Amino acid sequence: MLSTLIRDYLIQNAKVDPALFERPDLQMADLALDSLGLVEMLFEIEDRCGFQIEDPMRFREMAFADMVAAIEADIRAHHGGQMPDLTGMGLTTGEA
Amino acid sequence: MNKVLVTGLGMITPLGPDRDSTFAAALAARSAIRPAPADICAGLPNLLTASIDTDPLTHLDRQHAGLDRATLLALVAADEAMAQAGLRDAIPDPARFGAYAGVGFAGAHTLDAMYSRYFSALHNADKTGRNATVMHPLSVPRMMANAPAAALSMRHGLRGTTNTYAVACASSAVALGEAARAIAHGYLDAVLVVGTESMLTAGCMVAWNALRVMARPDASDPAASCKPFSSERNGFVLGEGAGALVLESEAHAQRRNAPAALAELAGYGSSSDAHHLTAPSVDGQVAAMREALAQAGLAPEDIHYLNAHGTATDAGDVIEAQSIRAVFGDATSRLPVSSTKAVHGHLIGAGGAVEFSLAILAMRQGSIPPTANLHHPDPRCDLDHVALTARTGARLTAVMSNSFAFGGSNASLIAKQVAA
Repeated sequence: MLSTLIRDYLIQNAKVDPALFERPDLQMADLALDSLGLVEMLFEIEDRCGFQIEDPMRFREMAFADMVAAIEADIRAHHGGQMPDLTGMGLTTGEA
Repeated sequence: MNKVLVTGLGMITPLGPDRDSTFAAALAARSAIRPAPADICAGLPNLLTASIDTDPLTHLDRQHAGLDRATLLALVAADEAMAQAGLRDAIPDPARFGAYAGVGFAGAHTLDAMYSRYFSALHNADKTGRNATVMHPLSVPRMMANAPAAALSMRHGLRGTTNTYAVACASSAVALGEAARAIAHGYLDAVLVVGTESMLTAGCMVAWNALRVMARPDASDPAASCKPFSSERNGFVLGEGAGALVLESEAHAQRRNAPAALAELAGYGSSSDAHHLTAPSVDGQVAAMREALAQAGLAPEDIHYLNAHGTATDAGDVIEAQSIRAVFGDATSRLPVSSTKAVHGHLIGAGGAVEFSLAILAMRQGSIPPTANLHHPDPRCDLDHVALTARTGARLTAVMSNSFAFGGSNASLIAKQVAA
């Protein structure tokens, strides 16, 4: 779910090649996002979850799957261990 | 001094989504003034606006979504101007090509949305558990005053100077004049100049309303509410829009085999009143018009049309009429004057660029757009009004456009015919 949401955002808004996401060991570095591109991507999540994700630069050294897992852990920590349905949430969805 | 030519014009205004539709509506006195949409009225009754119906994004790439509306409008107008100038595909010498913008406010939509989002999230935090401080990371670069100039430079690959002039209602007239000076004195070969404004938001409307300068709706026809130079005037109507002009030196245009120039930007005058925050002054306006005439090497009788600032406030119209008479003397009775604000509203930062463009198109077609709704000229504004309907079949060799701003800044521009 979360993984799909991030992937779709990156393909549609950051013009990332969809084929990259077929690699099981995809690294964040492979996406060639600059620091602003990374925080724009995180805003897509933050806007839905209502909190700011700490220390965004840690993700630059991670595998894509590990980043998704770390963000999911953050979201669960803010929602009493639950994972909310993120589709349709957010204050500015579609405007980013 | 290099001769400065206008080789491209572009507009997106309440009158139309492009240059020709805007000029056609101005000529026909087809007003775009309407009762303001409910979502920006903030509970105020009787509010009027002149807004753009077309979504500017339909003319642009998806990657521009999220930019402030003022920036989007600037990009749309600039695309049209650059296309007319034959500069959409290749810029001959990018380091010598600048991007100048004139804005009153620029990021109004972004700022309004940010505050609205922040305070609403803060207000509802107990219910939603959301942290109010989550904000889009590009909020700052989207709302900054130089966002339009930056976007123009990036979209067209312009690597010369990018300047932004914030001179309220004179912003883009000043941007045009300063760009022309930079070219005349050889600092740049060409400049894409854009005036842009979009502040039709609830936050901005309540602020403007508090100034008590906004027109009340005409009882029989709201579209006819703005009445410059009329004894029935009662204020202006806020609009939104953008106007873009490609300026380049004659030598640059020749080197690149540019399409035929539309006009020469022949004169620019600027002055400050040093007098009052909002009240206009004859001395300052006279100084700007005289300086523009002197730079163009023209006598008052050489100007064949004046697009007036003409905001339809009592002080503004009467002072401008006095200033025109002081500058033009006996020639005043033979100088056609109109204010197109009656139909497109007050475009603030975009006003100078749009109105100077309308004056150039009038000169090229020999057709002068009228002052709409001028059934009863104020006797204190004793001018040769082009009232209600266009004056056609005129031979116009030079035209002037005035822009006078809150803060006491005055700018006057002159365009001349270019020999074919």
